[in-house]
Amino acid sequence: MPPTLSFDWSTIVRNYTEVIGTQGMLAFVGNSIIVVGIATLVGLIVGTPAAYAFSRLRFRGRDTWASTILSFRFMPGVAVAIPIFLMVTFLHQEDSYVGLVLPYVAFTLPLVVWIMIGFFDEVPMEIDDAARVDGCGRAQLLLRVMLPIVRPGLIVAAIFGAIFVWNEFLVALFVINSRDLQTVTLGAATLVSADRPIDWNIAAAVGIVTIIPIFIFSLFIQRYIVRGITSGAIR
Amino acid sequence: MVSRNTRDVLLLLGPCLIYLFAFSVFPLLYSLRLSFTDLGIAKDSGHWVGFDNYVAVFNDPFFWNAARTTAVMVGSAVVLQVVLGVGLALFFNQRLRGSWLVRGALILPMLLTPIVVGVMWRAMLNPDWGIVNWAIGRLGLPPINWLGSTDWAIRTLVIADTWQWTPFVFLVVYARLQALPEHVFEAVQVDGAGRWATFRYITLPLLAPAIAFAAIFRAIDAFRSFDLVYGLTYGGPARTTTTLSFLTYQTGFDFQQYGYSAAIAYVMVVVLIVLSTVTLRFVRLRGQEGA
Repeated sequence: MPPTLSFDWSTIVRNYTEVIGTQGMLAFVGNSIIVVGIATLVGLIVGTPAAYAFSRLRFRGRDTWASTILSFRFMPGVAVAIPIFLMVTFLHQEDSYVGLVLPYVAFTLPLVVWIMIGFFDEVPMEIDDAARVDGCGRAQLLLRVMLPIVRPGLIVAAIFGAIFVWNEFLVALFVINSRDLQTVTLGAATLVSADRPIDWNIAAAVGIVTIIPIFIFSLFIQRYIVRGITSGAIR
Repeated sequence: MVSRNTRDVLLLLGPCLIYLFAFSVFPLLYSLRLSFTDLGIAKDSGHWVGFDNYVAVFNDPFFWNAARTTAVMVGSAVVLQVVLGVGLALFFNQRLRGSWLVRGALILPMLLTPIVVGVMWRAMLNPDWGIVNWAIGRLGLPPINWLGSTDWAIRTLVIADTWQWTPFVFLVVYARLQALPEHVFEAVQVDGAGRWATFRYITLPLLAPAIAFAAIFRAIDAFRSFDLVYGLTYGGPARTTTTLSFLTYQTGFDFQQYGYSAAIAYVMVVVLIVLSTVTLRFVRLRGQEGA
């Protein structure tokens, strides 16, 4: 049947009811939100102090360590998917949120460190000096003085980490077996590539359901996206 | 007794390094070890076989086929994206009305989930009822078998990748363009340089670092990309879109030859180490900045 531009609302409603209700797309969205939220948060907590150290402290091999961490940004997923699956199985965390969050934090760390080094570098040293004169310790300096200043950076890093985790597919394919725990990417892939022929009306509805949240999200975060992509490129 | 500075470094950096060691370095080393074994689905597999897998990989026509496919795909996608991305950046640099809206729309493809993008393109490119063939039929052109033909499938992958990632090149180049000092251009105009001369001798050289950065970055990501192939073509038809990433996945996941799959993956890792070393040269780290 050739496409037409006439809309049949009852069919549309039926397709979306099928996707959201029967197929459980909302549950997939929920799973993704939980995994994205935890992985991004832990990634920020672990990565931000490291970026601060690279930006402010002097130690041997600093640049080498930094490049090594950043180079993990380019790690091919297919090279680590099987070992990660075996590790997660060894920890008895296969088919669980924890089994996904553990590797995902590692995937977000290079992004967080990369972006946050840029933001810390932009803060003038005078601020550190002033805080130290006021008797501020290292921990206080980082938590009370620096973090509020680099807040835009934290937002950028969180967004990029979140997008990466939201889109991740390969590791999830290995780690998650049960339908209840599927993330959006898995749900979308299995809904349209099951053994039966693809229901394209359903596939399209799945596409729209996954795209709409990202579309709304992107309207709010446009300027942060631009900043995140160009940090690293433009110095 | 460690100094205060050393203690601070360990406390701040330690958790990150330990974490990356556990969930990035260790899997990579494990994968390296796997590549020297015949681990598979059979019960008595997993023995050390030395370099046998690598010898087999380099004698495997499927591997070379995938390597060629990957090279063609990455090469054409990067060239297309750089040309289009630079063109768009120059166009939007003219401060047109409402360009922020178009810019916002341009960012969207990048954020979309690659696996969903693959599936959506598959629907739009359906030969029987897909909207793309319907549209080109309206223009009086013959329909194209986008995904089913061995000639077109790889082009379709390149087109989809270009649709999704040209915005990245655009953003990087555009940001650089906005940061260029205005007075250079004013001086050239006073000297009476034409548009083409200005672009060729002033703008392009100034943009070169940003373009090179974007191109290498895209090359790396296209090289290791997997989701798009999975969602759009699943390596077919007749293996014409089986990239190295997809071949690694298929050998490991579908055929369960874990050792052999790890060997292919490691060939990729070596290529990526070279590429990422080059890229990180462009990303000036602190300390080199003053130099």
